[in-house]
Amino acid sequence: MTTVAARLTDVSKDRLEFRAVSKRFGPTLALDRFSHVFEPGRVHALMGKNGSGKSTLIKILAGAIAPTSGEILIGGEDCRFQRPQDAFDAGVVTVHQELSLIPGLTIGENIFLGRLPHVRRFGLPMVDWIALNDRARDLLHEMGLDLDPRREASSLSVGQQQVVEIVKAMSTDPRILLLDEPTSALATREVKQLFGLIERLKARGVSMLYITHRLSELLEIADTCTVLRDGAHVGTVEMAETDHAGIVAMMFGAAAHATRPSRRDIRRDTPVLQVAGLRRAGHFHDISFDLHPGEVLGFAGLLGSGRTEILRAIFGADAADAGSVRLHDREVRGASPRQMCQAGLGYTPENRKEEGLVQILPTADNLCMASHDRIAPHSIVTRAAEDPYVHRQIRDLSIKCGDPENPVQSLSGGNQQKVVIGKWMNTEPSVLFFDEPSRGVDVQAKRQIFDIIWQKAAGGLAAVFISTELEEVLEVCDRILVIHDGAIVAEVDPTKTTLTELYRLCMEGPTQ
Amino acid sequence: MTVRDAEAATGNPASRLLKAYPMELILLALILFLVATAPGFASLGNVLNVLRTVAMLGIIAFGMTAVIISGEIDLSVGAGVALAGCIVAWFAETLTGSLGGTAAVSIGFLVAVGVGFLLGVFTGKCRQLYRVPTFITTLALFTTLRGAANLITGGFPLSNLPSGFGFFGGGYLLGIPFPVYIFAATFLGMHFLMKFTSFGRAVYAVGGNLEAARLSGIDVWRVKNLTLGLTGVLTAISGTLIASQIGSGIGTTATGMELDVIAAVIIGGTSLMGGTGRIWGTLVGVIFLGCIANGMTLLNVSEYWQYVVRGAIILSAVLLNQLLEKVR
Ligand SMILES: Nc1ncnc2c1ncn2[C@@H]1O[C@H](COP(=O)(O)OP(=O)(O)OP(=O)(O)O)[C@@H](O)[C@H]1O
Ligand SMILES: [Mg+2]
Repeated sequence: MTTVAARLTDVSKDRLEFRAVSKRFGPTLALDRFSHVFEPGRVHALMGKNGSGKSTLIKILAGAIAPTSGEILIGGEDCRFQRPQDAFDAGVVTVHQELSLIPGLTIGENIFLGRLPHVRRFGLPMVDWIALNDRARDLLHEMGLDLDPRREASSLSVGQQQVVEIVKAMSTDPRILLLDEPTSALATREVKQLFGLIERLKARGVSMLYITHRLSELLEIADTCTVLRDGAHVGTVEMAETDHAGIVAMMFGAAAHATRPSRRDIRRDTPVLQVAGLRRAGHFHDISFDLHPGEVLGFAGLLGSGRTEILRAIFGADAADAGSVRLHDREVRGASPRQMCQAGLGYTPENRKEEGLVQILPTADNLCMASHDRIAPHSIVTRAAEDPYVHRQIRDLSIKCGDPENPVQSLSGGNQQKVVIGKWMNTEPSVLFFDEPSRGVDVQAKRQIFDIIWQKAAGGLAAVFISTELEEVLEVCDRILVIHDGAIVAEVDPTKTTLTELYRLCMEGPTQ
Repeated sequence: MTVRDAEAATGNPASRLLKAYPMELILLALILFLVATAPGFASLGNVLNVLRTVAMLGIIAFGMTAVIISGEIDLSVGAGVALAGCIVAWFAETLTGSLGGTAAVSIGFLVAVGVGFLLGVFTGKCRQLYRVPTFITTLALFTTLRGAANLITGGFPLSNLPSGFGFFGGGYLLGIPFPVYIFAATFLGMHFLMKFTSFGRAVYAVGGNLEAARLSGIDVWRVKNLTLGLTGVLTAISGTLIASQIGSGIGTTATGMELDVIAAVIIGGTSLMGGTGRIWGTLVGVIFLGCIANGMTLLNVSEYWQYVVRGAIILSAVLLNQLLEKVR
């Protein structure tokens, strides 16, 4: 009894209270007098549509940005962290929405950055590489990722980077852990492992704020759910007392849900894209498939199965070693992204920060970046010529960006993702590869993106769709190829399979 | 355009002005100060004189702005100026006898421009094919070109130039020094290029995020190589004007000019990180530098002090600019 009582008083030190916290960015009120008490030792989910202020709330708590007004109390004590370091020292640790590993350092160094273990050799303190890498390897193993900690962070996929960030945060022994969409790039297996870690931390009395757009995760992991709308606190519910519909209603008011249009028959006589025997050593081999106009083809597979690499090689972003790629019946293997783009192929990359967007340029410039040939046939570009392209995407995708002249980095994560999609929609391609298009977008916006994919497909667009959420692949696609260890191991019809079956195929490959 | 601009939209008009045009206001303050203290600063003759010096610097600085926005750098422009001047002078000396002055100078000019363009593209190709940073390639060119210029002249000024050649650098058209027209045309051309063409937009994209630009179907290396080539061309033009003004091709002209050019670009608000910057800002930057140099001469500041003061003023201007932008 005494130990429990002791722990209770102990954790009540970590009671987290927001008092009328506001944050203004120029004309945008990102957070509007947010007041709430987060009880210690529990997992608190934060929900709300894209741009509702979730990341802003977390960044303020983490000392990354200063609030315009209001105060934050931890255990009754006023705390206003001036720098991220202050928050860190106080045991408030954050996994930010945008990945922030240092690409030139190894995985191990990234995990222990700022607290590298030392040994004394010849009387001098030196970095203890052996201990560092051993500890990093153990931590990664706990998350089910057997990566060599000596690898450079730049060589990791988005999902792997996300795992490393999580490992890094977990390894610091936090009092309060802030997780901003930690699962947006993770597949089922990694999500399970993460939840295991969260449970263990919770048992140790760590409080957590957890942002996600995946409703299914809430019931599994969260104790309470706090909903934000336009920066204001809409309400907080105990997860035990609510369900999905209740939360969605809090997020959007009464929301209309787009549902999948009935499946059409796809004429499979003239493929628009034919890939045969494509190989890139160390990444994938023997990739052959046809893609037909109007078809949405899904690639299902685990992190690191080679899905993204295949698309990048077809698009010309990486070189393939062998095989053939025919687009509109012309051999195009070895073409550059520019030539592919001109031939009508588009690719929305999975990593919006590194590959999708030029962060410091305006939203408008980013939306028009891939379609200058179309907007400016004589190479003369004016805003007047660009405006229709900009506004159509802002409207079709409901991008919340204030002034499109503001740099795209000022947009919330989900809205940035929409800009990546919009950029390629503007090129009006005949084939479009969607690599994780729904990463970090809210439930409603996700429906909008799917809706657009279906609409364009009905109009003849051929698409390849990748998502780590297999439910999405099943719903969106007309046909699914299962990728395992760099090879296509199965082709499945989404109407004739189940989620469990698809998951099993992704995990194990085909049964012999 | 930055997050700051969005925030600058609020606040009272005076502070809004300060936030939106910090460098312009610093320049204005400098000019007012010099008008009040430096004897003869505001006289027509002096203003035209300042404009002439500014023109030689500015023509190159506009190209350099594009290079820096694209995420590269060119340290060889000072040496490039000397080389171009010597090439023109050499052709003028050698060919005037057989072809006449006009043809000789024209051929020399075209050769200089061609060499400038190719050197720029060469720098870009080294980067593209062998990943040699442009900083290194142009640092190597910095000494190589200087040496080449001296080899052409044999160490003595080539001053046997056709009469009339002096007009380009030293003459007046409608009362205004001829180089100022070239300067104005370059400003307008570069402003248009960077703001209203898909090429200019691509320069920003390439400098802001090379990989994202490449995956957007932009031919990133073509953009970088052409930007560097363009700066080579502008360097050759400026070099020809300077040779014309001083009346000879000298291997040691424009020593240290690359630093002034880069300083002007940075004072004008272009980021060395690439991706942001404006041609207009560089115009402000070159005029700022021109006024300082001229003002100190008028104020009789001794030569060694001029170096010290100039460095201090450049640094304080950039610091002040940062501070003003930060004040919300
Ligand atoms: N640095 C900034 N400058 C200007 N506006 C900003 C900045 N950061 C955020 N905003 C704005 O503040 C609002 C809230 O953004 P925030 O990132 O908190 O949203 P979010 O709830 O995390 O959304 P998402 O689910 O898409 O990640 C958005 O309208 C965004 O455009
Ligand atoms: Mg966010």
